[in-house]
Amino acid sequence: MALLSDLLFEAREVARTLADLAAGGTIRLGVTGLSRAGKTVFITALVEHLTKAAMPALQGRRNPLPLFQVHADGRLVSGTLEPQPDDAVPRFAYEDHVAALAGPKGRPEARHWPQSTRRISELRLRLEFEPKVAMRPGNHSLAIDIVDYPGEWLLDLPLLGKSFAQWSRETFLASASAARAPLAAQWRGFMANADPRGKASEEDARRAAELFTEYLRGCRAGEYHFSTLPPGRFLMPGDLEGSPMLTFVPLAVEETEVYPPDSLAAMMERRYEAYKTHVVKPFFRDHFARLDRQIVLVDALAALNAGPAAVRDLETAMTDVLTAFRAGRSNLLTTLFRPRIDKILFAATKADHLHHTSHDRLEAILRHLTSRAIARVEKVGAEVDVIALAAVRATREAKVGGPGEPRLDAVIGIPIEGERIGDELFDGKAEAAIFPGDLPKDPKVVFRGDGVRLPTTEVDYRFVRFRPPIPLRAEDDTRLPPPHIRLDRALQFLLGDRLN
Amino acid sequence: MTSEPKLRPRAFRLDESNSGLDATPAEVPRASIVIEPTPDPYEAEAEAAAAFAEEAAVEAAQKKGMIGGLWSWSGLFGAALGGLVTLWLGLEVELLLEGLFARSTLFGMIGLGLVGVVVTAVVVLATREIVSVLRQRQVAGLHIGLAEARERDDFKEARRLVGELTRLYDGRPETARARGQISALMGEIVDGRDLIDFSERALVVPLDAEVRKEIVNAAKRVSMVTALAPRAIIDIVFVGAQAVMLIRRIATIYGGRPGLVGFLRLLKSVGAHLAITGGLAAGDSILQQVVGHGIAAKLSARLGEGVLNGLLTARVGISAMAVCRPMPFASGRAPGISDVAPFLFKSEPKG
Repeated sequence: MALLSDLLFEAREVARTLADLAAGGTIRLGVTGLSRAGKTVFITALVEHLTKAAMPALQGRRNPLPLFQVHADGRLVSGTLEPQPDDAVPRFAYEDHVAALAGPKGRPEARHWPQSTRRISELRLRLEFEPKVAMRPGNHSLAIDIVDYPGEWLLDLPLLGKSFAQWSRETFLASASAARAPLAAQWRGFMANADPRGKASEEDARRAAELFTEYLRGCRAGEYHFSTLPPGRFLMPGDLEGSPMLTFVPLAVEETEVYPPDSLAAMMERRYEAYKTHVVKPFFRDHFARLDRQIVLVDALAALNAGPAAVRDLETAMTDVLTAFRAGRSNLLTTLFRPRIDKILFAATKADHLHHTSHDRLEAILRHLTSRAIARVEKVGAEVDVIALAAVRATREAKVGGPGEPRLDAVIGIPIEGERIGDELFDGKAEAAIFPGDLPKDPKVVFRGDGVRLPTTEVDYRFVRFRPPIPLRAEDDTRLPPPHIRLDRALQFLLGDRLN
Repeated sequence: MTSEPKLRPRAFRLDESNSGLDATPAEVPRASIVIEPTPDPYEAEAEAAAAFAEEAAVEAAQKKGMIGGLWSWSGLFGAALGGLVTLWLGLEVELLLEGLFARSTLFGMIGLGLVGVVVTAVVVLATREIVSVLRQRQVAGLHIGLAEARERDDFKEARRLVGELTRLYDGRPETARARGQISALMGEIVDGRDLIDFSERALVVPLDAEVRKEIVNAAKRVSMVTALAPRAIIDIVFVGAQAVMLIRRIATIYGGRPGLVGFLRLLKSVGAHLAITGGLAAGDSILQQVVGHGIAAKLSARLGEGVLNGLLTARVGISAMAVCRPMPFASGRAPGISDVAPFLFKSEPKG
């Protein structure tokens, strides 16, 4: 049955690809990132720039995307939003996110970063451009399909290849680590009494799932910032809130043992498998199995803030997640039948939180963090690049110091309310110059050690989150796209070769 | 702990004056903070990328002519035709020698000797051609290699290539001091990029000045002759000859030795570079050129043509400069048309 539906799906997809090919180019851009990596902001900034780049009101100003070749050459004719291809998926609420960044209802003082994404949404952007060398006259067009989704769900992809027993073992092992054990204590205490061979009780199952969810939530909280927390729907249930599909927990089961059908273990395993079949697989198949290009957004700074345990955890999560994607060199045949990702960009987001002189080190850390994924992808012939990126740049740079002190390379912006550095607590109104500290020269250093929740006076670096920049407007009151760092380089890498 | 003192993260509040109003008296007043604005680094990054596009144009042009592969249809045609002509010549010569020997052995011996001289001269000429082509390949290879080594800050490669670069100018007494400086500093500079930049400043920049002077002079001469020449055919021939001479001269200054084949290949590269950058430069200089031409042409048709031909020569010179230069314009900017033909623009407001 599953095989049949898979075949049917593949056939439908091939038909769709053919239709897309006939209609002009389509590119499926996978914006991949765990929760709070900045997917929504990246997509919003990308759309904002590409739809506004060719607007007549913004001509004659400094080109905000000098490295995006098609635009720098003046060949980009227009960029428009189109109805998304899947009617079953809601449209990406681009206007709402832009309004949030600029301040809702025209009040710039109320500007804030978009809320964390709670459900899946999709968007199609069409670029009209004049090709460099054309087989046929006239403008060409390229449709870019982008999907936004809660980053938590991404953590489910590695589950596809894991049995219940394997997943249970790994989850227990992780929860026993020094950093996580205190958070997991309550849930582990409850599970110690549960007997996998015993008769299943719905009551206990619910209670266990609640405690498990609490443990996962605790791990994700700001000061810990762990990343490897499957299953993702426990954290962000979307439309599955309260569904029995989410009432399962890992159990200490043996891989070889067969449990009686009415036992707790059997019930949990059934639910785990159902979760995989009905939640994870469709999500992956519908949105990730057929990507052409991928940008992997990684919020390395939050993990660095939280300490080496969080960084290592992020490394595990990213490596696990990225094995789920199909990469490799593309040709016409693979494009039709088994699309592969032929270009992957790893981006360390929120690069505006630190001075540009530290970007090389940030890139080195990201390269190290994703080294296994990069090696695997490069082996199959896909193109890989690593950059430090800020889709929306909230700071400017300056040299700052007290009188008689050496000048420090600092970034200036308005820190979000509640952020702190040392004994300084920010109120979200005052501007501040932040010297975030120096990242280590050797990227491996940030993976070593066990420090969790270090007091801010004892760390070498501390990255503060900033409020979105004050929106800029042109003379005729058109809103200008927000400033960015290297967004044009990212666009050129991901889309440039399809716009020649 | 590590030996070097680490700087802790710090925050400086910038609105001291504002928050001073509601600050509690217990708060210690903080000393004022000094802020030095810095230029936006990302704009510099974008500019560097634009320079990268120029560099890519040069490399594409060099690959087309100077480094170009040995095989092409036109090459095959030339080789085959050359082979036929050689065969025919051989046949003729053999017939001639036979005839001579039939007359008298003395004539035959003289003929044979002359043939030997001709063959020797041809071999020497061909060798020089080959050396010249190889030399140009070397210059272009240096350019591409140095650009890459600078981009990647690769010290080992930079050292090797800079060594090769100094050897390129071994027979040039005027570069002796610069070569001495470079080899003295070779052991001291440990950064690949710095080494390349230093060699550029010491060794190549003086040559740039010389090249620039050549271009200016050629452009001036061409403008003048075009404006004064009584017949169109004269200035066409003159412009062509000047362009050829200019390209040869630039190649020689930068250490190339263009022979005949080498020159043709070089010409191909210059042409390719002109074609590629024609579009790139459209933004600034073409407009100026047209404007300048327009005003001058209003004064006199001949004068307008003179200005236009001068500009053309200058553009050819700039392209030749870009492809003949053994390294990219890394620390400085590539000269534009208004750098090498300022006299053409200066007259503009007056006209």
